[in-house]
Amino acid sequence: MSMRRALHAEWTKALTSPGTSGLLVMVIAGTAGLSGIVAAACSGATCGADVALTGVQLGQAIVAILAVLVIGNEYSTGMIGVTLAAVPRRFLVLIGKALVVAAGVTVAATVAVAGSVAIGETLLPAYHATLRPAVGTVLYLVLIALLSLGLATAVRNPAAAIGTVLALLYSVPIIVTVVTDPVWHDRLVKYAPVSAGLAVQSTEADPLIGPWKGLGVLALWTLAALLAGAITLQRRDA
Amino acid sequence: MISVSGVRKRYGGAVALDGMTFDVRAGQVTGFVGPNGAGKSTTMRVILGLDAADSGEALVEGKRYRELTDPMRHLGSLLDAGALQPSRTARNHLLWLAHSQGLGARRVDEVLEQTGLGGVARRRAGGFSLGMRQRLGIAAALLGDPPALMLDEPFNGMDPEGIIWMRGFLRSLAGQGRAVLVSSHLMGELQGTADHVIVIGRGRVIADATVAELLRSASGGRITVRTQAPEAPEILAAAGAAVVPTGDGGLSIAGLPAEAIAGVLQRHHVAFSELAAHRATLEDAYLELTRDAVDYRAEDPR
Repeated sequence: MSMRRALHAEWTKALTSPGTSGLLVMVIAGTAGLSGIVAAACSGATCGADVALTGVQLGQAIVAILAVLVIGNEYSTGMIGVTLAAVPRRFLVLIGKALVVAAGVTVAATVAVAGSVAIGETLLPAYHATLRPAVGTVLYLVLIALLSLGLATAVRNPAAAIGTVLALLYSVPIIVTVVTDPVWHDRLVKYAPVSAGLAVQSTEADPLIGPWKGLGVLALWTLAALLAGAITLQRRDA
Repeated sequence: MISVSGVRKRYGGAVALDGMTFDVRAGQVTGFVGPNGAGKSTTMRVILGLDAADSGEALVEGKRYRELTDPMRHLGSLLDAGALQPSRTARNHLLWLAHSQGLGARRVDEVLEQTGLGGVARRRAGGFSLGMRQRLGIAAALLGDPPALMLDEPFNGMDPEGIIWMRGFLRSLAGQGRAVLVSSHLMGELQGTADHVIVIGRGRVIADATVAELLRSASGGRITVRTQAPEAPEILAAAGAAVVPTGDGGLSIAGLPAEAIAGVLQRHHVAFSELAAHRATLEDAYLELTRDAVDYRAEDPR
């Protein structure tokens, strides 16, 4: 009962927030758009699934910002106090937000990935759509969104949260490529959230980490972030 | 309805609440006043479970707020009128709140009408003046038709018309049998509105009394008399009164009722005018009570 009401409230919030729906549209436009541009630029036998789905590199940032703002805006406006007065069982608030973010991002990411796949089929001669990278990319975006939500709940400040998430999404992969120590390089590829998660797009014959295992690693990161958020929300004064 | 007992709360080294204890009764407007930083908002946050008390407890209908199902049906609150997402319309702001309590859009439209926001319901709340946001906050507090309401500084930012409306509205809510707790740092705002006043300072209750009691204690039973006769103070003192000249030809007298003063003066053929009970305002009572409890005060110029 309480859970249903908390979810209903979060659902209504999302539907009545022009920013949220705008960002979901941007997820579609950004992901499919970047995929299209890269697909148009790439030709030859090496342009496979990871090229067709390159748009995820932009889509993930938009998804992360959306998820951060879902809770971050409440902290910056003080609305979190109103929310917690309405739903004092705080973990229900976080679960409600997580479900709404997951639902919205699933829909937007599915459209975005379907668009990218369609563009890839048209522009890339070497590309043939397969299910795993496509579905995996949708799941990847959902996990990135939930990770961002958890992180934003833990740091309670939208600017700081967006900074942290973007660093995680873009700086860590850069660091991974410049690490020369082979042992550490492999470890980072296998266990850093982005490289592990994006293994699900890989069509390499012998990847460092399997596609679903990699996504599982990202899922663990996401779970940890949500847990950190839940503990902070529960323990600290609002 | 609302019961706060022995609540202590510190933020870092600063003591915010130092054994806060009081009850809010149904059917009356209870003013909650104190200087800035006295702990009014903190007390309300503790009641709502937004901030956790270090010790002591705050109960609503005998339960902790967190344990209430559909809490806004038990206690409606307005802590910060600015706490809303500016891009959402007034109606949608109330709609998500209504959904959180299992209420529907019809109830939203009712409270919008009740608070005079019907005409601007579909406008973005971000464009509202503070006074309109206060009304929106009141509308939110009323959504669950709760038996108790708790409003933090609802007069802030209201124009004179809004203040008059708010006073009448609070009176009518109490008239319906609800418990209404209203905080303010200006005692004058509550004169004519509150039945009961809780004065706090430095995190604890300084006075908890009806408005009539407070006024009586502040005026101290003093009576003012205007007279030109130089022998008047002596005559009155002989009759057992404590007399203090007020400096403008008046005498402030304590210890004798008005009829006795008139009798004494007439017997001694002393001419006088303007025999009146010193009328204290709630403001006077408040200033007297909180003199030692103000954290920040300008020093007297020397």
